[in-house]
Amino acid sequence: TKEEKKDDGVMAEEEPCMFWIWAMASTIFRLFLIFFFPENINASSRPELSTPLTSLRRLAEGYWLKQSSLSPYAGSMYHGSPLLLSILGPLTIQRIEGKSSHHLCSLVFVIADILSALLLRATGQKLQKAYRLNLRRLGLLTSLQDRGILPCGDIAALVHLWNPFTILSCVGLSTSPIENLAVIQLLEKVFLSILDENPAFGRVPLAAFGLVMATHLSLYSATLAIPLIFLLGYGLDAPPVKKFLQTRHVGVETTGSTSDVSKQDKLTQTTQLFLWRTVLYFVFWVLVWSSYVLVLCSLSLKQYGGLEEMFKRTYGFILRIEDLSPNIGVFWYFFAEVFDFSRNYLLIVFNLYILLTGIPPLAFRLKHRPCFLAFAYLAFSSILKSYPSVGDAALYLSLWALFVNELTDMEHSFFIFCGYIGFSLLSPVMHNIWIWRGTGNANFYFGNAMGYACFQYMFVEKSVNAMLNHDQALKKATSEMTKN
Amino acid sequence: MLADDMACNARNEYPAQVFNNENHKLNLYGDNVEVDYRGYEVTVENFLRVLTGRHENAVPRSKRLLSDEGSHILLYMTGHGGDEFLKFQDAEELQSHDLADAVKQMKEKRRFKELMIMVDTCQAATLFNQLQSPGVLAIGSSLKGENSYSHHLDSDIGVSVVDRFTYYTLAFFERLNIYDNASLNSLFRSYDPRLLMSTAYYRTDLYQPHLVEVPVTNFFGSVMETIHTNSAYKAFSSKISNSKSNPEMPLNQLSEHDANIPNDELKNEKQKCPYSQMRADLHKKLEKLENVDTVVNLSIAVMVVVVMVSSSLLR
Repeated sequence: TKEEKKDDGVMAEEEPCMFWIWAMASTIFRLFLIFFFPENINASSRPELSTPLTSLRRLAEGYWLKQSSLSPYAGSMYHGSPLLLSILGPLTIQRIEGKSSHHLCSLVFVIADILSALLLRATGQKLQKAYRLNLRRLGLLTSLQDRGILPCGDIAALVHLWNPFTILSCVGLSTSPIENLAVIQLLEKVFLSILDENPAFGRVPLAAFGLVMATHLSLYSATLAIPLIFLLGYGLDAPPVKKFLQTRHVGVETTGSTSDVSKQDKLTQTTQLFLWRTVLYFVFWVLVWSSYVLVLCSLSLKQYGGLEEMFKRTYGFILRIEDLSPNIGVFWYFFAEVFDFSRNYLLIVFNLYILLTGIPPLAFRLKHRPCFLAFAYLAFSSILKSYPSVGDAALYLSLWALFVNELTDMEHSFFIFCGYIGFSLLSPVMHNIWIWRGTGNANFYFGNAMGYACFQYMFVEKSVNAMLNHDQALKKATSEMTKN
Repeated sequence: MLADDMACNARNEYPAQVFNNENHKLNLYGDNVEVDYRGYEVTVENFLRVLTGRHENAVPRSKRLLSDEGSHILLYMTGHGGDEFLKFQDAEELQSHDLADAVKQMKEKRRFKELMIMVDTCQAATLFNQLQSPGVLAIGSSLKGENSYSHHLDSDIGVSVVDRFTYYTLAFFERLNIYDNASLNSLFRSYDPRLLMSTAYYRTDLYQPHLVEVPVTNFFGSVMETIHTNSAYKAFSSKISNSKSNPEMPLNQLSEHDANIPNDELKNEKQKCPYSQMRADLHKKLEKLENVDTVVNLSIAVMVVVVMVSSSLLR
């Protein structure tokens, strides 16, 4: 392991210089956009960037209502967390002299983006190490300095910083950067000591904190509880253990020594154990942190209806799809024309759709790769969210970049890439045609949203396929190696 | 129509206020009271013009009775009266024939569906002797030959503030609540001749529906008093729980005082539920907490610092 660390250090020295240069460049670009072109982009009024959940204008309105001793949720403007209101609220009021828009908040979002990038980089480095370790264990890696393995941490961080979606959602006065930061730091927290053989119990409270904060800020991050449990139970991303140990077992049997067989049995016992103790400890800490957060929320909403009001206006708002203003999702059009008596039924159907068709199948298939499962869940929920925005796309694209090593053989990647660019460029055009010029109608915009959803879905499907093919290829390679 | 606008009388010690009781609880001249004819405008001619709708063109809409064939009209008259007349302004009188003619014209021109005439004067029942139009219900405070009396004197103002018939009518309505659905029959039966010191006589021969089936709200409408509050939006359900928690506090304080008295039973009861006492103490502290926001901000900051410190320690 000492040699490994040295080699990693040598390799890593050249990379950071380029990384930091690119990171600085993206920060300067964002600051440039914030300070010089706030009105031209007009980002806060675009439905692709700011949704009823993430719009900063609504947060400012909620803060003003709170200062006027009304409930921040009055009038159905603000639908976020009251804690976020206490943090970001005062910033929306203070202005730099001479400027009119929310510059201080945009600076906070820039910092959030940078932090997300750094955390992604750390996560990617751990993933890279884990990948290398796994390959060495399987005997596929001959030399330590294999340049074939890309530095996925740096790549993911740079993708996050230079993705037009992230730049737009950072400049666009939406709180998506903070929600993305919550999710990314959740993933990072779990990793730092998973690499050790014994799961360090010190990490579990922090992971629980991460999950509670991520769920508190956006409801759909609750689906990340499942990959987290798999992470804590099974360990980091690895090719499916069963297949490899079976092939190894077969390979060992051919040599015929009994001591090797017993060693293999011991291996099967330890690596296939699902660590229930850690998971229960994690659940306990989730309860502790969530009760802390809920107590804080009830304190801040004491006079305005308390926790019941908060749940009704935040999670209830998300699940009941109360706001039907257009966005790049597919629900607003549908629920604008559905009959009242079937509305509840269809709400249940659509919400259960994510739960039943999205979560269990992916969990069964990808339980040995929890980090990738998290990416798949995030991508899936960003298609079928109540109020999606490009900030969600920014998040899962950055997480996708963490897996460049495994997803090199993704099919139709160029087609999907072109589709993304095309639909995201057409979306403001359709919006303009429909709303401002009046020469189009809602079908134009909704068609665009449907196409975007199609391409997102294709993207997730191809990525999962590529990952599973990669595992298959690894299995083939190991079986060939053991035969030789 | 107020012939003597007492609220604006120079000798009124409570300017712009008219009370119907010496306890001065209810100001009848409130913000939602509209007086269309006052002082010298109150004449028999104007009264008949209002009833029949024969106004000059210049008369504004607020001074007209804008009723149609579906309207229920309550006509309440009080003052000095006698055998088949009612006194106007100490100078002229409204006769029962004129009233009957006006009502007949109203019926011809279909200006009402049901009309209720309520008269509180001496010998009030004679005023509607001549009525013949269908759909009219009339009640008077006294029969021919009887006087109607005032109820009590307000020594602060120096005059009697309400007549007996009116007083008991108002008392009937004070007893009602919103869901009572009282009928006119119960109103008319509530008049006690011994209390009124006269006989309240009513005439139903021109009125077709049974009095038991007619709700009082057909004629006696309510003018809602709106109370302006700061909460512009819907109130929350937990307001009830907040007001419930308040009486808990003095109860607990009481029990603490009682515990000082050497009484073993009370002490045992207190010891039985320390949890509820803890919650009450917590409620007390929370009520005292004025700046909740700083507490919340501090807690968030503490949480973030703890997380960052522990993550850096474990790195």
